[in-house]
Amino acid sequence: MSEPVLEVQGLSTHFFTRQGEIPAVRDVSFSLQPGEVLGLVGESGSGKSVTGFSLLGLVDAPGRIVAGSVKLDGQELVGLAEPELRALRGRDISMIFQDPIATLNPMLSIGDQMRMALLAHEKRSLQEANKKCVDLLRRVGITEPEAGLRAYPHEYSGGMRQRVAIAIALLHNPSVIIADEPTTALDVSIQAQILNEMRELVRETGTALIWISHDLAVVASLADRIAVMYRGEIIETGPTFDVLRAPKQEYTANLLAALPANTEPGQLLAQGGVVRSVLNVPEMPAPPENDHFLSVSGANRVFFPSISLGEKIAGLMGAGSGRRSTHAVKNVTLRVARGETLGLVGESGSGKSTLGRLMAGILAPTSGQVLLDDAPVMQEGKKATLRIQTIFQDPFASLNPRMKVGRAVSEGALAHNLLSPSEASAYVKSWFEKVGLEPEWAERYPHQFSGGQRQRVAIARALAMQPEVLICDEPVASLDVSIQAQIINLFLELQRSLGLTMVFISHDLSVVRHVSDRVAVMYLGEIVELGPAEEIYKAPKHDYTMRLLNAVPVLDLKVD
Amino acid sequence: MSDRNTPLRVFWAEFRENKMAVFALIVVVVMMFLALFASVVSPHDPYDLASLSLLDSRRPPGFVGTGGYTHILGTDPQGRDLLSAILYGLRISIQIGLAAGFVSLTIGTSLGILAAYVGGRVEALIMRLVDLQLSFPAILLALVIVALLGQGKAQLIGALVAAQYAYFARTAYGAAKAERGKDYIEAAVATPLPTRLVVLRHLLPNCMPPLIVVATVQIANSISLEATLSFLGLGLPVTEPSLGMLISNGFPYMMSGRYWISVYPGIALIILIVSINVVGDQIRDQLNPRLRK
Amino acid sequence: MLGFIIQRLLQAVGVMCVMSVIVFCGVYAIGNPIDIVIPPEATEEIRLDAIRRLGLDRPLYEQYFIFVGNLLQGDLGRSFVYNVPVLELIGGRLPATLELVLISVVTATVIGVTLGIYAGYRPDSWVSKSIMAISVLGFSVPSFWVGLILILTFAVNLGWLPAGGRGDTVEVLGVAWSFPTADGLSHIVLPAINLALFKLAMMIRLARAGTREIMLTDTIKFARAAGLSEGTVLRRHLLKLISIPIITVFGLELGSTLAFAVVTETIFSWPGVGKLIIDSIAVLDRPVMVAYLILVAFLFVTINFIIDVVFILIDPRVRHSGQYE
Repeated sequence: MSEPVLEVQGLSTHFFTRQGEIPAVRDVSFSLQPGEVLGLVGESGSGKSVTGFSLLGLVDAPGRIVAGSVKLDGQELVGLAEPELRALRGRDISMIFQDPIATLNPMLSIGDQMRMALLAHEKRSLQEANKKCVDLLRRVGITEPEAGLRAYPHEYSGGMRQRVAIAIALLHNPSVIIADEPTTALDVSIQAQILNEMRELVRETGTALIWISHDLAVVASLADRIAVMYRGEIIETGPTFDVLRAPKQEYTANLLAALPANTEPGQLLAQGGVVRSVLNVPEMPAPPENDHFLSVSGANRVFFPSISLGEKIAGLMGAGSGRRSTHAVKNVTLRVARGETLGLVGESGSGKSTLGRLMAGILAPTSGQVLLDDAPVMQEGKKATLRIQTIFQDPFASLNPRMKVGRAVSEGALAHNLLSPSEASAYVKSWFEKVGLEPEWAERYPHQFSGGQRQRVAIARALAMQPEVLICDEPVASLDVSIQAQIINLFLELQRSLGLTMVFISHDLSVVRHVSDRVAVMYLGEIVELGPAEEIYKAPKHDYTMRLLNAVPVLDLKVD
Repeated sequence: MSDRNTPLRVFWAEFRENKMAVFALIVVVVMMFLALFASVVSPHDPYDLASLSLLDSRRPPGFVGTGGYTHILGTDPQGRDLLSAILYGLRISIQIGLAAGFVSLTIGTSLGILAAYVGGRVEALIMRLVDLQLSFPAILLALVIVALLGQGKAQLIGALVAAQYAYFARTAYGAAKAERGKDYIEAAVATPLPTRLVVLRHLLPNCMPPLIVVATVQIANSISLEATLSFLGLGLPVTEPSLGMLISNGFPYMMSGRYWISVYPGIALIILIVSINVVGDQIRDQLNPRLRK
Repeated sequence: MLGFIIQRLLQAVGVMCVMSVIVFCGVYAIGNPIDIVIPPEATEEIRLDAIRRLGLDRPLYEQYFIFVGNLLQGDLGRSFVYNVPVLELIGGRLPATLELVLISVVTATVIGVTLGIYAGYRPDSWVSKSIMAISVLGFSVPSFWVGLILILTFAVNLGWLPAGGRGDTVEVLGVAWSFPTADGLSHIVLPAINLALFKLAMMIRLARAGTREIMLTDTIKFARAAGLSEGTVLRRHLLKLISIPIITVFGLELGSTLAFAVVTETIFSWPGVGKLIIDSIAVLDRPVMVAYLILVAFLFVTINFIIDVVFILIDPRVRHSGQYE
């Protein structure tokens, strides 16, 4: 083995907060060979990002490296003075961030930002600098790189902006690049392209790469070695294939088992924590074939931009702003049978959330109908039924921060006289138990709960209205894998015991496959394919479905 | 994670860490008490014309008056004990500041939330009006209104409200518009909860933090604006001397070295306004979501 | 982009129309202006004649249209009190106010932004804490009080600077200016400080809040991770990002300072429009009040329009799409 390009020994970074000293990174050690890709995996709060920032000496106050050593090409970085560190940053070690929309300065052209990064470390004439920048933009797959130099970030899509950020990180051909969740904010198909390009770039340049991610499948498709972080420590490290196939730590094994892709569809997922199986009711009989309990027929939804009078006048003068209306849902017809789960998949902008809102009675269709048992879901712009309830994506946003959760659960039922005030407390407690929360937590506020617990509250709130249909809009997208598994299990159990009809919206193909009887694939506002879940995944008919399935990184743990 | 861990308690625990802000809060509370009980704590009753003697007017601090009483802060041009006049003036200033602040808060918040929640034409109409007014300096508006309506407490409060409600409306509108787009409001609408409940229990409580910040600033501003108007001779009638009026009364004597008539009421005014603003600043910092870790 | 400009122009015209109606009605509909024009002992005949001469016998809407018609021809009426065209009266005093306001706001902005960025960049240093303490004071202490103390200290007790007036002036382009002469400059220092203090406090707060927020963003982290020096980060990234709120407030403040000059001009006997309006309000000289209010509204609208155009020049997002993201 050659000399490691990066060697980390006993690195510890602590945060000195009001609540006391929090050890975010504890005694982390690893080394990196030239050209090697290390996948740093962990759930939120595991310290993986802080580790990345610690390597660059860019930990925000009140955080600080308290012990350990980071050697880059043999040079010690911990304790190095700021000017020397700065001379290394971007030149020998550089970083890519998660959200490409937030990283580039919207007020500066891409050329400006690249030249600044270039000239920070070497003197070059403007022409030479531009030439180098154009070269790099071309290398990261930007078409027309000369025009790209003059463009501003907002003219580019998220994926393109991330490519620009990668180009900036590559400017000085650094020996190490740290990539902090660089594809998490992107759609699967863009993610697949970027993963391919990164693979190429690493091979061409010989740069070592630390790829930080919560997504085991993404990491596995790229990394030579994997390090699993848990509560600030690296608990397991080894060659990717070995770690994934034969994990030595229980935590890693649980993490793998919690992935929906690794379990037969419809079965409960293995979880890290205790499974509270609160309900054990026999399965509901299969729905009759021609049942159209919830039906959407010829539904369209168009969003019109508000065009000001001035813009209209400018339009007449031939200088319109070019903003058009968006046709978010195009002529969608589908039926959901009683007791079935329909999965709705698509990338961002596919219209899946808008369709979900049409079905939930939150938005009215521009044309077409949404009917529940032949009665319209919305009347006169208002939701006309209690039988449909909705679960939202982000449990941090979907609960009123200033209302006790017990009240949040009971207020809808109280407002509609589904129960009397004297019964409220017992009613709330019974629902808390059913979704796996301690009944006495009803007096708490949302901020006292974790993300998974909040989502349980949101589920209890929806179920307290005694609905027959549950529309779930990305209900597990913002949760860690192990929590995600618990919530998916809860959905599966509740659906069986309560005979719920569900529409499950997600960008995550494996989650949708796991919970759904039938799956509808949406693309640019239309349903391009609809059929039984297994058929769609095993034998997709539409081009887009195939592309989508191919773009998803898959953990293949079976030995060939 | 105790169950008594309410948002208010958490807030107070954090507030307590800024010693300066706690001190300012104590000052504000003490001054409010002094003002409330001005008739009890004041050594003299400045409205009791019978006890005034022009022989005692414009005397320096420490002067022993004809009544045998030592005027700690001296006397004003009418021969009133300055300390007593300040306490009574404080009462008027605080009354006006609070009244104008709360009326503006109520009107502004209602309009702002109405505009944000209802949308469409109502929104356009209300917000155009508010923006129009915001593009016009508050002091000028107040000046003109007072000039036209004449002097008096109600007119003055009316002028201050007219000059300030727009700030509340803007803030409430901005907050409500942002909250309106959040999932918890959508969840409440999707339940569906009656509009009244969505607005009163969900929207309004979550719009309060920025409004509280604006309210502290605006109460301080009202007090300052009232003093300025009184100073310009457009505030309250002479029979109800606010702090601004006292300062104004002393202005002509300043050049001749009788500084105390203006300076002491001024110091009282400044301590009050600075304290309110220090408290307001701390609340603002604590409520700014973008600075929170 | 063109649509954006047209829209803003339309809005500006709309605002001016509404403003003229409100101001006209507000000022004319209340009270009886005739009482101050003629002596109380005048006969009914003289009285009616005066009412007719001033056009006060016509319905309010007719008075308004006559007023607007005259306005568009540059005629804002005659002062009841001075009996000279209002435009002449205000025009003669405007330069003094503009000079004071511009010097104050520009100084306050340059110093305030610099101090504010520093206080936001190093929020925990004692220098920053002192800056913030000063800003709380500047923000809280009523402007007229500061004026009093400035006069008491520098004019009365120390005798360094004059307490009021404009001092020697120089005619440039037919208008008198104070700042080019030493005497004029000495006269402008105190009122300018008085007027600038509140703006300074405000700019400090604004720049500090903006800096603190921007320094925590990924844009700054990414720039640092690329090895940019702190100087470059501050000069190129921070200044660009912070410029939008600063310019917005600068425009608004320019207008409101114009109005606030009322107080400063009164205290320092500065012969500008502020002093004029206070005197006019005291005697209810309505044409002057109306003209002044409309002038202030017009300046406000013009400044806001210029600011919008400036945004097109500096913010690429507005330049391309005509709206903010």
